[in-house]
Amino acid sequence: MDYDFTEDQAAILGGLEQLIGSLNIEPPKDAVFSAYSQPLDDELTAGGYLDITSQEGFGLLDGALIVEQLAQLPVSVEAATSVLIAPVFLEDTTRRPVAILAGALTKPARFLPMAKTLLADIGDDLLRIEIPEGAVEEVATLFAYPYGRLKNPENLPRVSLGSAQLPTFRRRWRIAIAVESSGLMQSALNLVLEHVKTRQQFGRPIGSFQAIQHRLVMAAELGQAVRWLGLRAAWSDSESDAAIAATFAQDAIPRFCTDLHQFCGAMGLTLEFPLHHWTYRLRALLGELGGSSAQAIAAADATWGQK
Amino acid sequence: MEFGWSPEQSQHRARVRALLARELPADWDDIAVHGPGSDAQTAFSKIFCKKLANEGLLISHWPREYGGNDMTVWDQFIMGEELWAAGEPRGPQYMNVNWIGPVLMRYGNAAQKAEYFPQIASGSVIWCQGFSEPSAGSDLASLRTRADKVEGGYLVNGAKVWTSYAGLATHCFLLARTASAGKGAIVILLLDMASPGVQVKQIPALIGEGDIHEVFFTDVFVPAQNLLGEEGQAWEIITFALQNERIGIPRYAFSRRMLDRAAEKLKADGRFENPVVRDRAGRALALCEAARMMVYRVVHQRATQAPQDAYGNLARWAIIQADHAVNDFMTEFMPEGLLGEDQMQIAHHQRAIAAGIASGAAEIQLNLAARRYLDLPSEPRRGL
Ligand SMILES: Cc1cc2nc3c(=O)[nH]c(=O)nc-3n(C[C@H](O)[C@H](O)[C@H](O)COP(=O)(O)OP(=O)(O)OC[C@H]3O[C@@H](n4cnc5c(N)ncnc54)[C@H](O)[C@@H]3O)c2cc1C
Repeated sequence: MDYDFTEDQAAILGGLEQLIGSLNIEPPKDAVFSAYSQPLDDELTAGGYLDITSQEGFGLLDGALIVEQLAQLPVSVEAATSVLIAPVFLEDTTRRPVAILAGALTKPARFLPMAKTLLADIGDDLLRIEIPEGAVEEVATLFAYPYGRLKNPENLPRVSLGSAQLPTFRRRWRIAIAVESSGLMQSALNLVLEHVKTRQQFGRPIGSFQAIQHRLVMAAELGQAVRWLGLRAAWSDSESDAAIAATFAQDAIPRFCTDLHQFCGAMGLTLEFPLHHWTYRLRALLGELGGSSAQAIAAADATWGQK
Repeated sequence: MEFGWSPEQSQHRARVRALLARELPADWDDIAVHGPGSDAQTAFSKIFCKKLANEGLLISHWPREYGGNDMTVWDQFIMGEELWAAGEPRGPQYMNVNWIGPVLMRYGNAAQKAEYFPQIASGSVIWCQGFSEPSAGSDLASLRTRADKVEGGYLVNGAKVWTSYAGLATHCFLLARTASAGKGAIVILLLDMASPGVQVKQIPALIGEGDIHEVFFTDVFVPAQNLLGEEGQAWEIITFALQNERIGIPRYAFSRRMLDRAAEKLKADGRFENPVVRDRAGRALALCEAARMMVYRVVHQRATQAPQDAYGNLARWAIIQADHAVNDFMTEFMPEGLLGEDQMQIAHHQRAIAAGIASGAAEIQLNLAARRYLDLPSEPRRGL
């Protein structure tokens, strides 16, 4: 049991921080619902960060740490799927970004507008679909990821990977939900902490009111719990750890997001204030893979079985 | 970063489990249902702690110079996890080894060490913690029990309340004050509970037999050599003591064990096929595991001798959520347990309803974490 980074992990995360620093990534100045960073994607690919799990001496936990750090940025990039899920299912891992979907192929999915591959859990099979130019229409949304929908999925060639692949696909997806949530929660919380320390009402910072302090500590606790559960799941790659982590994350997201917006007043409802770049990614993750009840039932089944 | 156990740690856990399997009597569950402070469990603790001592496990995390074995922080914690999950067969004596001993090591004088360590190490004494008073709960510094200086020592007058284990205790770690106000006037007295003028009254409660008491002091003489540390040093000592106490109890381990047990029962009854039940069980499970991972982070800090921050307060909040969730789950889906069908469930319920109050109320944890972990500005107020 060791909660500190290894030297390798510290080196990788330090390198990533430098890379991010060199790109000068700021919250978008324009009033946009989401911002996707292609330059960041290019740099991550060139730097080998996205195929870390296939490199000698590194594994899923190291990938999870990268995903978590990237999620802290105010812009999105398709990393979680490429790092944590796709390596198991793609023959050609350069065919990314990769979008993921559960349910009907006509459902909107994150990153589909720029995705080269779609992995789709259609209930009794896992499909891999290569996405040609022009096959996707963008979907306008409040969620802070680029969303798209396949125009004519029936016309696209697909590879059936078989239902036996579904448990692994869902397990990795759950890990990705938790780990990405952790990074998003950290940045959202930091922004709101800064806000409540500076915003004055009644002659004092609003962060000195106990009613606000207590709920912020609860939010911090949720974020930390998601973090350690998510990283443990990445370390063990076990069904129950993954489902437990995703349960906790999706269970926490509504309370976490509602409170954080609340403490920013009307400002928190604007596009100018960058909070939504994190909270509206969290809210997008809330409904993935069926939402918190589906994860909780999966956690119960993986831990105790049904009969 | 890694979240597994070393082979030595796994071996240690297996050794503790084997010891429990060997030493706990067949009717252990009947003994444990009443809680660590009950007559039965206190009596059993004297047998069990002697066995632990013989195995070199009672005070093995203490330094060698005090009879310990320099056991690692993790090994000590693993043992605590297993013992609490089993219903704490050390009874009230977990306090002796977890914080009374370490506080005496740091602040006791040679005579005090010579007197108290052999007793604790042999597993034959029961200490209680005389902190809270009717008007001093969360605001501990407002305590009123007097310790007036007299020839050769102190004369104690006043009352304590909620004192766990006081009914069977041989010693009390007592806070009193030498003057009417201020933290600086508080002194710590190591009191012999057999002293004339000490009167103990059990408080009937929802949380089981023998746990909480009132303790009255009428002209109780405490010799000067029983003062711990210097006058004026008490607050520093109390802070150190509470640090050792606060996450000393891995409550989530018992909750997790109860949840595993609940799942098996519900399966046997065919009730676990209901997805609503599994959903709720899964959420309670996530809270237990969250508490575990938060607490492990605190233990890791201790094991690596990193400076202690307020993460422990955050972890306490997680522990409280886990205890409540498991308790609420069982109360909702297995009410028959509280209707006399399951003594262990009743015992768990009685522990869980105190989780947010005993060892510092939940809101006090939030206050401390707000200031010391999130660095938020303090609200104009007195005390904590
Ligand atoms: C099972 C059990 C065993 C115990 N054993 C012992 C023992 O062995 N020895 C001992 O000395 N004591 C013991 N206690 C007492 C325990 O330490 C106190 O109950 C605890 O510190 C809370 O004090 P209180 O009960 O007076 O509640 P109060 O302090 O009156 O608190 C009541 C409520 O008000 C809230 N509150 C108080 N101040 C604030 C604030 N500043 N901001 C926000 N909210 C606030 C609290 O969080 C709580 O929700 C035990 C208690 C229990 C339940």
